[in-house]
Amino acid sequence: MQGAYMNYAAKRLLQAVVVVLLTYVFTFIVVSILPGDPVTNVLRDPQNGFTEAEIAQIVAAQGLDKPIPVQLWHSLSGFVTGDLGVSLRSSRPVSDLIAEVLPSTLRLAGGALAVALVLAMGIAYGARFLPHRFGGAALRALPSLFLSVPSFVIGLLLIHIFGFQLGLFMVIDPNSFWATFFAAVALGIPISAQIAEVLMANLDHEASQDYAAVARARGLRQSKLFFRHLLKPSSLPVVTVIALMVGEVLGNTLITETVFGRTGVGSLIQRSVVTQDLPVLQAIVSLAAVVFAVINLIADLIYPLLDPRVKLVGTAPRRVTTADELPRANA
Amino acid sequence: MMISVTRTPRVALPAPLGVILSLLVLAVIVGWSLAPGLFTGFDPAIGIPADKLQGPSAAHWFGTDHLGRDLLARVIHGTASSVSSAVIAVVIALVLGGLIGLLSGFLGGWVDTILARLVDVLLAIPNFLLAVIIVTALGFSTTNAAIATGISAVAVFARVMRSEVIKTRSATFVEASFLSGGSRWHILTRHVLPNASRSVLPLAVLRFGQSILVIAGLAFLGYGDPPPASDWGLLISIGKDYLKWPWLVYAPALVTVVTVLSLNRISRWLRKTD
Repeated sequence: MQGAYMNYAAKRLLQAVVVVLLTYVFTFIVVSILPGDPVTNVLRDPQNGFTEAEIAQIVAAQGLDKPIPVQLWHSLSGFVTGDLGVSLRSSRPVSDLIAEVLPSTLRLAGGALAVALVLAMGIAYGARFLPHRFGGAALRALPSLFLSVPSFVIGLLLIHIFGFQLGLFMVIDPNSFWATFFAAVALGIPISAQIAEVLMANLDHEASQDYAAVARARGLRQSKLFFRHLLKPSSLPVVTVIALMVGEVLGNTLITETVFGRTGVGSLIQRSVVTQDLPVLQAIVSLAAVVFAVINLIADLIYPLLDPRVKLVGTAPRRVTTADELPRANA
Repeated sequence: MMISVTRTPRVALPAPLGVILSLLVLAVIVGWSLAPGLFTGFDPAIGIPADKLQGPSAAHWFGTDHLGRDLLARVIHGTASSVSSAVIAVVIALVLGGLIGLLSGFLGGWVDTILARLVDVLLAIPNFLLAVIIVTALGFSTTNAAIATGISAVAVFARVMRSEVIKTRSATFVEASFLSGGSRWHILTRHVLPNASRSVLPLAVLRFGQSILVIAGLAFLGYGDPPPASDWGLLISIGKDYLKWPWLVYAPALVTVVTVLSLNRISRWLRKTD
């Protein structure tokens, strides 16, 4: 077992490193096939007021006069040693730009994940145990509704009701507690739907097992059955779902931060897209891939330790982790 | 004691009520995109300034915007672009992802290894972020947003297709077909593809709805066609600056949500009945 686990861990680690490096190359290729040569667009933008000599200097400093493969090699070796390059617009190190906005985004994303977990547990519990006429069936349909609403509409709805009508927060003060809270709710709701779907499917499965029937026959109360017996085995796959959702949260901050007027990684992406600041985009996408790879690596590594039933056969354990993979009867 | 059991007579529906309603919604949406002029007499681009920012009424079901344009007319005329771009996205995802999944599942070996890494890369970049960098690379327009959305969904189709192909390829009837002299091409087109497509179809319908959302998100951020286009996401984005007149946000949002909900419902139904 010990040896098999180490073997599995080493394989997973190697795979994660390979994926991150390949993602960097992929992003670089996508970004450098840009048709309009944004580099010169940015540099020759009269608003920036660079002289020809300065442009030549920047081009030389960034290595933009070299062929693409050389640029890629240069950029990739910088990335591996932790150098994320320099912004085309502001000429500041990209790592500084990201470090400035990261805390705000981490607060938002952390809050969103917390909201998503609490909501998903509530929905799954209610859908399992509430009688139909008290909304059990309606709760079951809730994730589907959540996944049909554009996330910016959820944000605008919350701003309209709680900001404008009830006056709980001002849009001009996006860092106040309530503004952050509702931004986290807006970001968390679509995530909660996906967690709830997997949790509900697994709860249904666990509740149909013999041990659950025995517990019920012994006269165990529903809440005890849920928290003592069903929740633990049902939430194991949720570990993997949450790991997958982290990437989603990062991508969706782009919209949520724009709607709520927050500064953060999302608004940095938005600014860099509009100004075609490619080094910043390249860095953020690659970092998102690193975060995604690390979190999924951790999830895959702790999973066999959490669930003794999982047998390692050299590949990642098989679980239901997305709605697409749900057994058909449940879907 | 006698218990009489009476059964309420029921008309047998060809599908659950929710599915029928969803299909009706889709029919209306298709109508709006093919012949918008049949559904509204108002011009989507030119308004009557004196009638600006009116609430929903019998004359203007969705109210009017800041230029006095009928919002329902704008929504109806924006349907074609919102829906057809989602179709483009799904077709791209279906064809590219299906091909990748088919090749890696059917051929296996080093082809499978290489394609699996490509899919890993596509999965490692957050979905929306992937769409954003691709649309940045291609340039801002609704068509490019559709292409970007399609590419960002390739990985999901590739995965499902691959697992379906592997499942079918190892089935006994496929083995029998091979042993009785069926060529690889025959097995691929007659057995593997039809079987795999059964689970890919519901996925395509589901992704159709999600593509509408992603494209609306890109339009909301300003990465689609600029006004006077009236894509649903763009209408909501314009409406957000007029939150005092909330129908400017809620009316196009409602149309989007009802459409996506209907597609999700149909997808679930297809999955159950196949």
